[in-house]
Amino acid sequence: MSNPPDAEIQALLDDLWKRHLPSLVERLDLLERAAAEAASGAISEAMRAEAQSVAHKLAGNLGMFGHPQAGEIAGQIELTLKAPTPETLAGLVPVVARLRQSLDGHL
Amino acid sequence: MRRILIIDDEDDIREVAALSLEATAGWKTVTASSGAEGIKLAMAERPDAILMDVMMPGVDGPTTFRTMQENPAIANIPVLLLTAKVQGVDKRRFADLGVAGILFKPFDPLTLAEQIAEALHWKDDAPSVSSQTPSVRSSS
Repeated sequence: MSNPPDAEIQALLDDLWKRHLPSLVERLDLLERAAAEAASGAISEAMRAEAQSVAHKLAGNLGMFGHPQAGEIAGQIELTLKAPTPETLAGLVPVVARLRQSLDGHL
Repeated sequence: MRRILIIDDEDDIREVAALSLEATAGWKTVTASSGAEGIKLAMAERPDAILMDVMMPGVDGPTTFRTMQENPAIANIPVLLLTAKVQGVDKRRFADLGVAGILFKPFDPLTLAEQIAEALHWKDDAPSVSSQTPSVRSSS
């Protein structure tokens, strides 16, 4: 296959990343609200389901933008929200914090 | 030039996949954000292959695939399902559907075209790959 320079493709990906940043920030904010609610033991089913869906989307797309570690953390959050226990839900806040930290400098 | 239909409810996935296939392989892409829209586009465009997300709101990828199989006009178009690794995919279940292959998200934009070509045995199909200048299309 004929490949243009990787740098050229990376520049196009960077542009897409910037265009999708507002949506990403909204998703991180939602995960933080969900984690806080989960930690307080008062997360609603609707919020849990929405946060699981958001984590699933992040798990699928962060790696493709060159953030595989963040994608892995989002995958962990998805799994926690998919099969929640009081213990795992209580520990969600630091995991979501790690997700945001892993994207430091890119938001 | 190969033409690929990308069906995914996620804007960024559609856009990155389209950018990737056009920039690295020179393939033409069309995109749809739902299974229903994808079926319409498959009928209109008759692409060489379809790259489709498994988990979509409303009608999911496997259900869309089964609907396509019932339509003789598009039943022969190879379909690759795209799914997240975290789902612990049962490859056998998808293979039993009759799809041409399964690709995983997150994918590497630099190698997505190669993965598709390999899955569809297009590796040595030189005319399928052009050296045109990369372009970025907006997703639908």
